[in-house]
Amino acid sequence: MLKDTAPLDHIRRTVPQIREELGVAPVSVKAIRDPQIYELEKERIFRKVWLKVATGWELPNPGDYKVKEMPVADTSILVVRGKDGRIRAYHNVCTHRGNKVVPNKGFETFGRARANVVTCRFHGWVFGTDGALRSVPMEEGFGQLDKACLGLREIACDEWEGFVFINFDPEPAQSLKDYLGDFARLFGGYPYHESTTAFRYSTVLKCNWKVALYAFSEGYHVPTIHAGSLPGFRGIEHSDFKLIGPHASSTIYGAGMDAAPSTQMFAGLLHGSEDHRPRPDQLPADINPTRRADFQFEIPNIFPNLLIHLASGCGYPGMSFFTHQFWPLDHGTTLWEGINYFRPAKNAAERAAQMHVNALHRNAWLEDTATMEDTFTGIMSGAIDEMQLMDQEFLIRHAALTLDDYLAGTLQ
Amino acid sequence: MTILNDLILPAGFEDLAPVAARWARPTENERNALRFEAGAADFAAFRDAMAPRLEALLDYLKDCPPNPEEPAQRNALMLACAYAEAAPHHELYGGSAEVPFSFDARRFVPDHGNDPL
Ligand code: FES
Ligand SMILES: [Fe+2]
Repeated sequence: MLKDTAPLDHIRRTVPQIREELGVAPVSVKAIRDPQIYELEKERIFRKVWLKVATGWELPNPGDYKVKEMPVADTSILVVRGKDGRIRAYHNVCTHRGNKVVPNKGFETFGRARANVVTCRFHGWVFGTDGALRSVPMEEGFGQLDKACLGLREIACDEWEGFVFINFDPEPAQSLKDYLGDFARLFGGYPYHESTTAFRYSTVLKCNWKVALYAFSEGYHVPTIHAGSLPGFRGIEHSDFKLIGPHASSTIYGAGMDAAPSTQMFAGLLHGSEDHRPRPDQLPADINPTRRADFQFEIPNIFPNLLIHLASGCGYPGMSFFTHQFWPLDHGTTLWEGINYFRPAKNAAERAAQMHVNALHRNAWLEDTATMEDTFTGIMSGAIDEMQLMDQEFLIRHAALTLDDYLAGTLQ
Repeated sequence: MTILNDLILPAGFEDLAPVAARWARPTENERNALRFEAGAADFAAFRDAMAPRLEALLDYLKDCPPNPEEPAQRNALMLACAYAEAAPHHELYGGSAEVPFSFDARRFVPDHGNDPL
């Protein structure tokens, strides 16, 4: 019990400690460039570790489901809330002959299982949201059929703070709780589930997934890349470094920017609202522990492909948090997903203000993504073999080292 | 560009009818499509019409539900959302319909792109 309430001082690092622990040497780009490494990543990382695939509030009611294409594991998954309220995950594969049980368009499809069953359209096999095979048309026509063993193929699935994770390993080496470790303590306790207003953007980028991940993993680029959408961003400070096993985190502080007149109007409205105003008091105790007024957001890297940027209304006006995920489609192609989360607007003015903040942040993302395909082309050209990384890019250095450990089999 | 002449606005906001006809649309995809076609003069004119009225419009919208059904309220919100989207192009991006030095916005897919408001 004591352990759960002890401060997380052991994960904090000063800059000299980061340099000492992670090194300062340039980092090889081989893991980005080499298609064979992608095959290893699929096998040793994406089929072994916990991956966030949904949120509980996307699937509020029993029967609500999400189909997600997972090329990184060569499958399609069905994530569904059962009658008992639990969210489970299955391969979206019919045990009759392999058709998709729930057909889908695009990378993500949402739906509702009526009467808590899903029916394969090919021959009409019916499965419960608990995975069990419920009925088979013309069952008597099968000389042999062990229905009890023909349920949907289940995938390990667990929730942390309403974020739904799966693990493709039939016997995961670690529970989700152990895998997240101190990250769950660092980020735990924030009322994520209250921010059900989500604006999700996605795009397919012609780059390796790590190029996209790394571009969103540092604050060094803010004054340059975001000179358009975040003009005059003052006093940016990327600090409070933390190392958490395979994960890492840090904080962006900043004295603000030269907000345009319309932004001031929309932001003022959100800042004046009880639901949307900055809530540094709601931040977990170990994030911005001194409650600095210039806190913008916490920027972690949750291995391998998830970022949850926790702002609690302190950064982008009214925004609780935003997430990024980077799903490799193949070695040189990545599905990027960015989601802005707000508490629900109580009136139309708050709605319009959220639209403005969302648009500004989307525009900043357009500035971020502008670099990725060019960076990948540059790395593939062979002109450079290494990345030069500064202190504020330590999340990249740490992720690259963690990746190497997993590929070498020293971590699993 | 289609002009929607049937947009009733709330009493006291009739002066915004021309900009509403020009800009107010229910979905992000439609608002973006208008924005991509617009030029610096369009954004400046939108700003000139809206800037002096934004505070009053938002005050009015504070008393409307977040997804109003009443047509005048709905149109007022569509107009505010259109301005929320367009204003940075005048205020930050020098009148450019694109975010300068950015990824192709048409390749960014909003899940909610066709959802009204
Ligand atoms: S493949 Fe699904 S019922 Fe035949
Ligand atoms: Fe950025």
